[in-house]
Amino acid sequence: MDIIYSIYEVLWFALIVLMGIALIEGYFYYHFKFYARRWFFPAALVGFPLAAAALCRALGLAADPVKPFLWFLGSEALITLFFRHIVKGRNKLAYLLLAPAFIGLALLLVYPFIFEIYLSFHDLKLTTIMQWKNTGSLPFAGIRQYVNVFTTSPLSEVTFWALLGRTLWWTFINVFFHVAGGFTLALLLNNNIRFKGFYRTLLVIPWAMPQVVAVLAMRGEFHSQYGFINIMLVKLAAAYPILAGLGVGPVQWLSNYPLTTCTLINIWLGIPFMMVVILGGLQSISSSYYDAADIDGASYLQKLRYITIPLIRPVLMPAVTLGTVWTFNNINVIYLVTGQSGGTERADILVSALYKAAFTYNRYSYSAAFAIVIFAMLFFISVFYLKSFDAAKEER
Amino acid sequence: MNKEAAVYRRKKIVKYLLIHLAIIAFVVVCVYPLLRILSVSMRPGDKLISTDLSLIPAGAAFDAYVRLLKETLFLRWLWNSLLITVATSFIGVSLASTAAYAFSRFRFAGKKGGLILLLSTQMIPAGMLILPLFLMIMKLGLMNTYLGMIIAYSVSSLPFSIWILKGYYDTIPRSLEEAALVDGTSQVGAFWRIILPLSTPALSIAFLFNFTTAWNEYLVARVVLFSSKQYTWTLGLFELQGQYITQWGMFAAGSMLVTIPVLIVFLYSSKWLISGLTLGSVKG
Amino acid sequence: MACVQFKNIVKKFKENLVLDGINLEIKDHEFVVIVGPSGCGKTTLLRMLAGLEEVTDGEIRIDNLLVNELHPSKRQIAMVFQDYALYPHMTVAENMSFSLRLKKVGRAEISARVKEAAQTLQLEKFLLRMPRQLSGGQRQRVAIGRAIVRKPKVFLFDEPLSNLDAKLREGMRVEIAKLYQRLNSTIIYVTHDQVEAMTLAGRIVVMNRGVIQQVGSPIEVYRKPENLFVAGFIGSPTMNFIAGRLSMSGGKAVFKGGDISINVPGFVLGGAEAIDGREVVLGIRPDDVLVGARSAEHCSEKLQATLEVCELLGHRENLYLQAGQTRLVATVEAFFNQSPGSAVPFCFNYANMHFFDKLTEKRIG
Repeated sequence: MDIIYSIYEVLWFALIVLMGIALIEGYFYYHFKFYARRWFFPAALVGFPLAAAALCRALGLAADPVKPFLWFLGSEALITLFFRHIVKGRNKLAYLLLAPAFIGLALLLVYPFIFEIYLSFHDLKLTTIMQWKNTGSLPFAGIRQYVNVFTTSPLSEVTFWALLGRTLWWTFINVFFHVAGGFTLALLLNNNIRFKGFYRTLLVIPWAMPQVVAVLAMRGEFHSQYGFINIMLVKLAAAYPILAGLGVGPVQWLSNYPLTTCTLINIWLGIPFMMVVILGGLQSISSSYYDAADIDGASYLQKLRYITIPLIRPVLMPAVTLGTVWTFNNINVIYLVTGQSGGTERADILVSALYKAAFTYNRYSYSAAFAIVIFAMLFFISVFYLKSFDAAKEER
Repeated sequence: MNKEAAVYRRKKIVKYLLIHLAIIAFVVVCVYPLLRILSVSMRPGDKLISTDLSLIPAGAAFDAYVRLLKETLFLRWLWNSLLITVATSFIGVSLASTAAYAFSRFRFAGKKGGLILLLSTQMIPAGMLILPLFLMIMKLGLMNTYLGMIIAYSVSSLPFSIWILKGYYDTIPRSLEEAALVDGTSQVGAFWRIILPLSTPALSIAFLFNFTTAWNEYLVARVVLFSSKQYTWTLGLFELQGQYITQWGMFAAGSMLVTIPVLIVFLYSSKWLISGLTLGSVKG
Repeated sequence: MACVQFKNIVKKFKENLVLDGINLEIKDHEFVVIVGPSGCGKTTLLRMLAGLEEVTDGEIRIDNLLVNELHPSKRQIAMVFQDYALYPHMTVAENMSFSLRLKKVGRAEISARVKEAAQTLQLEKFLLRMPRQLSGGQRQRVAIGRAIVRKPKVFLFDEPLSNLDAKLREGMRVEIAKLYQRLNSTIIYVTHDQVEAMTLAGRIVVMNRGVIQQVGSPIEVYRKPENLFVAGFIGSPTMNFIAGRLSMSGGKAVFKGGDISINVPGFVLGGAEAIDGREVVLGIRPDDVLVGARSAEHCSEKLQATLEVCELLGHRENLYLQAGQTRLVATVEAFFNQSPGSAVPFCFNYANMHFFDKLTEKRIG
């Protein structure tokens, strides 16, 4: 019964989405059709906002229809003018095709982003959330939240700067080992060996497994008593007393070395992607370069240095960029390993601290400001990076 | 002469042997955790916690699977995940397919701006929008519902899907649509009858990408869903693994059930996914 | 069947002028080939006729009906694309019948027409295949079949043979010629290959840089090129050009260019006005550079050249000559028994000499 109800619920929603799309398309269609008529401007200014406000009222989105009416009036005026003076009825089809996707993006990506900026200048926390929910208004906080980001700790222990340093370190170590490991594996696999496809398939498994399963399973392996790693260490120490004398023994991974644990797990997760990308790049290098180098008498290392690495760069650079952004933004691994109640904070990086600040400590506005700061950092780094990338391209 | 050849051959054999050994070592590291889950999932109920490392435990049984299905809401969780995922993928792919067509075939004011907007959305840190989405969902009264989840997920993969599809459409010669126009379709008709059927590979990849992202999502689900009846499987497994070490076996069994279909689909489609990933990033 | 008119057609891509005032009338049942180098606007012109490209200015009429704003499918034309544009997900039969199905033609009618077209093109065996299972020539025939099935007023061919290898191209050329004899409909055919133009056309339209250079039958275009461009574009090997000056001495016209000086008979220049001192370009086809036995028969005055290279083509031979600073190509019957470096006397076939004004590049005689 539940199942039937759940299907009904989802289908009903799909129907609403469809109707919404039809509404949007119709709206734009008539703007395209009649934008130039003299009667259209006043008619649109009256008709559409009225209809929209009535719809809001009917759906129960707004108790007082005057405010949405004014809102829609303003936006309708802008849209009509836009059609009249900029679009002028051109490229009708292109805009009609784009409209649903971009309105979706505007509602669920751009609007939340702006909402986040709004939040960061106000004060939303556990004590004000009910007020916001009922009245929709919040106490204004100015740039206090931003000041707090740099002066107080997002969590209970670490400061912003410590988090930043840890994030950079985490990103660097992970990406470095991803590339190094991926490169090694790709070079090994790029030989003409048997079972190549089979090996490749098996090596991709950490990437292919659902991340939640992979991380949780690896977390189990780091368990101090029943995890594979400590079992092995205990056995090693038992078998070779010399090693035990050197300090080899069970390690409290999760409580004493959480960041190392997370890093090891994330390296394990990330190598296959790099391997596959680099292997693809290696296979696209024409073998005639190597033949020529062989005839010239180049050694293996020379070939690696002068042929493989320069030719793999165009493939590698985007992958490294992507990998850097992914690692920087990786909440999953850290939260899944340390996110339980009472979990440690010593493995947190910026984004996971952001998540915890919002949803473990309920400091909503604070975390909004925090998010904006991180975004600004990422944004400037990427702009700078893209610029230098373009410059490097032009040089060649 | 012959001696030199023999030395050369021996060197070669040693080299290949070393390569195989190195790769096998890596393979073991990659596969072993998965095998461990399998082995734990088949441990008999009384030996769940042990320091035993053998892959096939003594007295292997399917107790954990039976208990998982009987005592927990695992099937329900799977069903929830499936419903949310399929709905978001359908919405995402259908929105992306038309938008990508516009980007691929038309010149219009704002095209470049639109593409830049798509790329810059990729710069937004993943965790950043969870908070405003959470607040929006709360305000709409959709906490703990499928709809809230679908709304939160539906556009998250949209920019990437548009990139993949645009790249694919770009490879379809325009003359096909022109021929269709001459044959008597409208522009939309040409898209519907010619381009869409030809793009099934790219559409299915975009669908798979949407599907896997939503299927494996954890962070949004964590904050939107709070009753265990509405949980997705990721939340369910986290709970199984987190709280009581006694449920280790059930966690392993659940992991196996979720992982195997995902693995099969992934291995089948990985080639496509990768080309899509690199395509999107190279152009960006 | 129908006639087609272009009136003052202008096409701009942003600021880029692609077609600059095209006027052309194509009569019923005519096979017109539009030829020109790539980028001359010939394909754009065809696509405008098909309705795939907007007309910036001017009028296009099919059967006196203004079609500027008409949807491609309403223009009663059929087009064969350079890459064939066969729908990869449909069988040959489905490809051919697509337009009829869109028009909701009855099933019996569709299958009859497809069958007829397939018979004409010998495609019966392939009707159920997918395009990717066909060879290049077969695909080409399917593309033509798709056009035939619609029974259009005008057939448009956009470089249909350029994706085929040389041998197949010859075969298909003959096929298209035969098809025209059978259908006897209006055909507009765009190509950059002057051999196709010469062999297929009833009338050739030579275009360059968005302007029509000359319209005429193949033989007119070959024998009486109206300007330097047409003279150089039509004919293979390319016509020899010698820049020089005309002068009058003793009532006779003399051409002087580089180290070459020849008397020009009166009939060549007609009654050309203001001959004395005029800067001209002399054009002479390799066939009309007479060497060896033929020069002995025809020539009254002989010029001297050195043989640089011989190219044997089988039954013909290309000779690369150097006369002072001037390089010339002559085509002769095989075999020309002289080795490179030897001196070769030659002369021009007066009847087929072409003179162009150096400034206007227009024909003067």
